[in-house]
Amino acid sequence: MMTGTSKITLAARRASGADLAIIAGIELGGALLLGFFLLTDDWRLIVALLAVFAAGFALLQIRPAIEDRIVSAFHAARAQALGLGAVVVLVYPFMMQGSSYALHLLVIAQLYAVLALALNFQLGSANIPNFATGASYGIGAYCSALLAIDFGVSFWLTLPIAALVATGFGFVLGFPSMRTRETYLALVTIAFGIVVHQLLNNFSWTGGPNGLVGIPAPTIAGHSFTAPIELFGQRLPSQANFYYLAAALVALAIVCARRLHDSRVGLAWNALRCDELAARCQGINVVWYKMMAFAVDAFLAAFAGSVYAAYVSYISPDNFTFLVSVTIMTMVIVGGMDNTLGVIVGAFLLTLLPEKLRIFADYRLLFVSVIVILFLILRPQGLFPQRPRSYGGR
Amino acid sequence: MDAFVMQNLMNWLVLSSIYALVALGFSLLFGVLNVIHFSHGDVSIVAPFVVLATVQALIATAFPAATPGALVLACAAAIVVVGLIGVLADWLVIRRFRNAPAMMALVATVALGTVIRELIRMIYPQGSNPKPFPNLIETRLMIGDLTVPVFSLFVIAVSVLMMIVLYVVMRHTPLGMRIRAVAEDRNIARLMAISPSRIYAATFFIASAVGAIGGIFYASYAGVVRFDFGIQLGLIGFSAAVIGGLGSMQGAILGSLLIAGIDTLVQATMAEGASYRLVFAFLLVIFVLVLKPSGILGRTVMEKV
Repeated sequence: MMTGTSKITLAARRASGADLAIIAGIELGGALLLGFFLLTDDWRLIVALLAVFAAGFALLQIRPAIEDRIVSAFHAARAQALGLGAVVVLVYPFMMQGSSYALHLLVIAQLYAVLALALNFQLGSANIPNFATGASYGIGAYCSALLAIDFGVSFWLTLPIAALVATGFGFVLGFPSMRTRETYLALVTIAFGIVVHQLLNNFSWTGGPNGLVGIPAPTIAGHSFTAPIELFGQRLPSQANFYYLAAALVALAIVCARRLHDSRVGLAWNALRCDELAARCQGINVVWYKMMAFAVDAFLAAFAGSVYAAYVSYISPDNFTFLVSVTIMTMVIVGGMDNTLGVIVGAFLLTLLPEKLRIFADYRLLFVSVIVILFLILRPQGLFPQRPRSYGGR
Repeated sequence: MDAFVMQNLMNWLVLSSIYALVALGFSLLFGVLNVIHFSHGDVSIVAPFVVLATVQALIATAFPAATPGALVLACAAAIVVVGLIGVLADWLVIRRFRNAPAMMALVATVALGTVIRELIRMIYPQGSNPKPFPNLIETRLMIGDLTVPVFSLFVIAVSVLMMIVLYVVMRHTPLGMRIRAVAEDRNIARLMAISPSRIYAATFFIASAVGAIGGIFYASYAGVVRFDFGIQLGLIGFSAAVIGGLGSMQGAILGSLLIAGIDTLVQATMAEGASYRLVFAFLLVIFVLVLKPSGILGRTVMEKV
């Protein structure tokens, strides 16, 4: 039934040439901005690009009509927008001039985008605080790494197993959420994250503080993911393999997010966010939907963890600390709660910014934190605020 | 009772006292502002650095040699400075989130904590390295065959004193009455000619100054201090305040006793206790919250329909 309603939305207005121009301008412009940002080493250019980015959002802040126009263009020509977006994502590695560092940043940014989307189900849709996404990420990474190292299980098999194990833990974590709320629930998830981190740090079979080394890279049809891709006479660094894998994962996360958002599950989560008591009176099983939010978060985070482990082939407990969870949470809030695109942009921004601010050496963490605080003060609704649900007939 | 048990009982009380000093700040701030000031641990750990810097400055100028007087003066200075840093943190950042959703304030104060940590690291010379911190009182008492550091007794005494002072201030002074009025209803308090912004500043000063004492004791107890000690101190203080019941001072003390209790117990009885102490402390936190979802002494929230 849901696809029926969204078709009505699509048919609400026919795509005009102006719509297509807006879409092409935004997608290509965004890709270009990101490309320059990734490839340059000149700090003046980096600051200038950030200024352009900030100016764009300042414009949206001052003139909300522009934002509405863009949104309506994307609604009218959704198929074209998706098609162009997919082409940009597929072609992007070829534009990176063979820079393995730029591709590495893109892989990490995409993994964080998946994590942020995972958390968004809880924090954005249902307003359940969760500081344990980093722990689920770690459980997924360790689970798939241990299976691959100790039992020689293929990466493609460890992926679903790790996700299922993490989902189990997600349910366990969801258990106390039946009774605790808000700050108290936040503390339960913080405590869970710290317990997982400390256990990974202390068990001998997880390698203790040294972590696990030599996690084998996946292969697909005889092509190892550590080998470079050669295509159309172009040679891409080996990171491109993981770039496409991570892109597929982001696509999966987006599809999950959209389908869940449009389903009764997403509606139930939104109802929980608005008023838990009213939701219960409407016959929504509050406990079940809360546990489900924890499980979905853990499931997607574990996917990201498995890919991360296979990608860097070395993991240690310090990759999955409390601060990682806080970073993921910041991405969701900065990007815009319950807005898929916003969360992805937030993840990219907060992954790439510290890397690119390396020129400020010791000051970069300070810079990033100050930017986050300023951001929360100046644009509290996030880069892309949540939009009201539309069921056609605008 | 044998010396081993006595020794650990002593450790337990000292740790509880230190944690309670930090937890009280969390509880006080939450009670008044309904805001989790997550950087409270980081603000508190600024204090030992101020002490170190002041001692060095005093040795260089007024006092030719390290005297107890310099240390006392430095501690007093640190408590005032950190109190003011707390007020500054509120004025610059936290007050802008008074009406924002709780999660935004939480994330903002976590970022503020990072800012404070990084500032310590940058401003203090070679701030990335751990700094040795002097034991405030070196003397040890011999009671029977038991050696009791006077420092431990001092920590416990000061903490208990601070608790009593806080209680008296909150219950029996005009300032405490105003603080409670603002906590009850900000707008009505304003009608009663109470300026909420001044009360907030006062609350932040008190909470941060008490936290500063905790920070100094923490550094002195460990014998060393590093810029990122505030994360753990803050997390433990926060946990103690929450499992005791946010907003309740007795709860903060009870929570500190519980967390310090399991901490000492694990370290005393398990072979690898030191590495598992945080695991058990935070398992206890989860366990308590599953049983008592709003803390041990927390008020059960009634919802109007």
